[in-house]
Amino acid sequence: MSKRQLAMVMDLNKCIGCQTCTVACKTQWTNRNGREYMYWNNVETYPGTGYPKNWMELGGGFDAAGDLQPGVIPNLEADYGVPWDYNYESLMGGQADSHTFHPHVSPTWGPNWDEDEGAGMFPQDNYFFYLPRICNHCTNPGCLSACPRDAIFKREEDGVVLVDLDRCQGYRYCIAGCPYKKIYFNPKISKSEKCILCFPRVEQGLPPACAQQCVGRIRFVGFLDDEESQVYKLVHKYKVALGLRSDYGTQPNVYYIPPTESPAKFDAEGKIIEGSTRLPIEELEKLFGPEVHGAIKTLKAEMQKRKETGVSELMDLLIAYQHSDMFRLDNNYYQQVAKENKRNPLAPVDTRYIAGKFTTKGHTQTLFGGHTAGGHH
Amino acid sequence: MKKLLTSILALGVCASAALAAEPLITAAKVANVNDATVWEKAKFETVTLYPQTAIEFNDKKANELTAKAKAKKAQVAAVHDGKNIALMVKWADKTKDVQGIKCSDTYSDGFAVQFAAATKKPQPLPYIGMGSEGRPVIVHLQKATAKVYEPNGNKDVGMQINRQQTGVFGKELADFDAKVAALANTDFERVFVAEGFRSLTEIKDKSVQSSAAMTYVPGGWNGSLVRPLKDQYVNLNGTVPVSIAVWDGTNMGRNGLKNLSSWVAINLEGQKPNAAMVAELTTDAKGDAAKGKEAAMTNGCNGCHQLEATDAKSFMGPALHNAGGYSTAAYLRESILKPSAVVVPGYNRNAHANTPWYNIEKGKRVSTMTDFSFLDKETVDNIVAYLKTLKAEAE
Repeated sequence: MSKRQLAMVMDLNKCIGCQTCTVACKTQWTNRNGREYMYWNNVETYPGTGYPKNWMELGGGFDAAGDLQPGVIPNLEADYGVPWDYNYESLMGGQADSHTFHPHVSPTWGPNWDEDEGAGMFPQDNYFFYLPRICNHCTNPGCLSACPRDAIFKREEDGVVLVDLDRCQGYRYCIAGCPYKKIYFNPKISKSEKCILCFPRVEQGLPPACAQQCVGRIRFVGFLDDEESQVYKLVHKYKVALGLRSDYGTQPNVYYIPPTESPAKFDAEGKIIEGSTRLPIEELEKLFGPEVHGAIKTLKAEMQKRKETGVSELMDLLIAYQHSDMFRLDNNYYQQVAKENKRNPLAPVDTRYIAGKFTTKGHTQTLFGGHTAGGHH
Repeated sequence: MKKLLTSILALGVCASAALAAEPLITAAKVANVNDATVWEKAKFETVTLYPQTAIEFNDKKANELTAKAKAKKAQVAAVHDGKNIALMVKWADKTKDVQGIKCSDTYSDGFAVQFAAATKKPQPLPYIGMGSEGRPVIVHLQKATAKVYEPNGNKDVGMQINRQQTGVFGKELADFDAKVAALANTDFERVFVAEGFRSLTEIKDKSVQSSAAMTYVPGGWNGSLVRPLKDQYVNLNGTVPVSIAVWDGTNMGRNGLKNLSSWVAINLEGQKPNAAMVAELTTDAKGDAAKGKEAAMTNGCNGCHQLEATDAKSFMGPALHNAGGYSTAAYLRESILKPSAVVVPGYNRNAHANTPWYNIEKGKRVSTMTDFSFLDKETVDNIVAYLKTLKAEAE
């Protein structure tokens, strides 16, 4: 259990599925060296198979008694999809096959393969919404519990779940243990990697890249114990932000405002069925648990209140007038932590990425003969 | 006289070894361990490797595949040249599994050789799985992997850069590229030091000058290892206890999902053997196994431990149905008398909130098993003899 917990809230009513968050993350963290297929952040169409394929059916998490459940490790080709490239070089170089633009493999699956398909019959009652997913930085992480090497840890400072890449040897029990399948295997370095909640940015007072770049401004970031933060208000005060698949017992710290609005259904004559809604509440219950009823009720009541009185703190929060108001990151806190631990505030607070504990000579890394880190442990 | 005594002792040891559970291997003295022809004359002994089943991992497919795992027989020989020791391990594996770099759910075949850092006293030797506190082990691991392009020769990612988004340009970037080219295509050979479960740490500073290799021959693998007899981690002389593990990628084996031998004694030819060590590792446990089984039942061992592979699966303590294969009698005795000396971690603590088999006190795992030091010596010997019979049949 960490001292504080950083959390994110995503308002699904505002997500337009533009994948700007995905790209922000991908270009910052995962576009190289065995991470090509990794999406630490992805946006999937729900209902849909998701990424990796059918992640909700691959086990992991805990049972009601608190015992870790077995899981299945997805296959790169079948379940994630080979990260294909295109024949740019032959196209640009005017070679024989340059008339056609094609992937260098025949793709059979990939992220957003079933984008915008959704469920239901078109046009009567088809429906879908977008579900952005990152690592949930759980309070009781399945990945951490499953790791036989203690290579996964939760930071004391802010509850960010990280892989100690020095200890990780790529056994992949973490992938089986994570019910969200939000931890990935890097086959090139034979280690697991995952969303780091942009901790090097957060420590400098910047929000995670996915949150900052979000054009729909759906994401709020802050500490759960900060009563002034939007995440506190949305999660604890109004109880409208709910964890994804909390039934796995991992106590996720990424929360969602469930989608409240959907078009009405058409009848056989093509007329609107008054009072109907295309989005089955069962789907939302499956994702967010029975609390979703209360959350939707509160959201609708506050919307009504706003219409009638013009006043609603919750609606003001969700409208998010000022982008900067969406992130309360308490940079002073990180500077204080660095000071207390006698660390350089500009260096990443966590040094567990570096140095082998029992390597007697000390393990030193030098980047271009400049910055040096690590040492005797 | 001294020489005569040594040879009489050695003879006696050989005679008892013939009846023993584990073979005694003699590392022949050769001129150069790196000379491949030494293996033509080397004498191979059969070492049995048992499935490590103390705890159940959470990989659903792997658990299905390894449910009926059997023990494997490996042929092991050793040579030394006074400076280095070399081991050759041959084991059957019908399927060649080489881990490529485009897969997330396949595993490679592999083997490991483990040395005890302190080898003078046979009791207590480090715990076979991962050493134990104050009794470190050095583990040499070789996995069959495709050559891996690694932009950082130190096998970590701290130095990787994104070419599209780097603050490094010009000559510095060119230097980086040159370094990448020089470091690329590294082999998956690792050396670790461990002092108990979850302390396994890779030695990255190249302070162990070893060389391991795996060659697939029809039907199985030949694995070889060469390492110095003496370095800052070990000082091998007289009798060297080693343990051997092999992994089968087809069964999704890795980490704890492997076949493991008990400590095996290797006498270095030309050096004085450690008679106590040889005796400890090659003689059968004294005691009456039948009486031991009865004592184990009356003392409630089966209340928490899975003693037979067919026992109910949701065991609370570590499963012991292969413990007799890979554990020494001394270790089993120690575990009965001092259960907290070595505690096998299961899943992380919070996964077994209701039925922990250990608690963490002051950072140490403390077993919830009571110590059975109140039992008389004969009963303990009998239980140990019984536990030594618990092991899977060989393939």
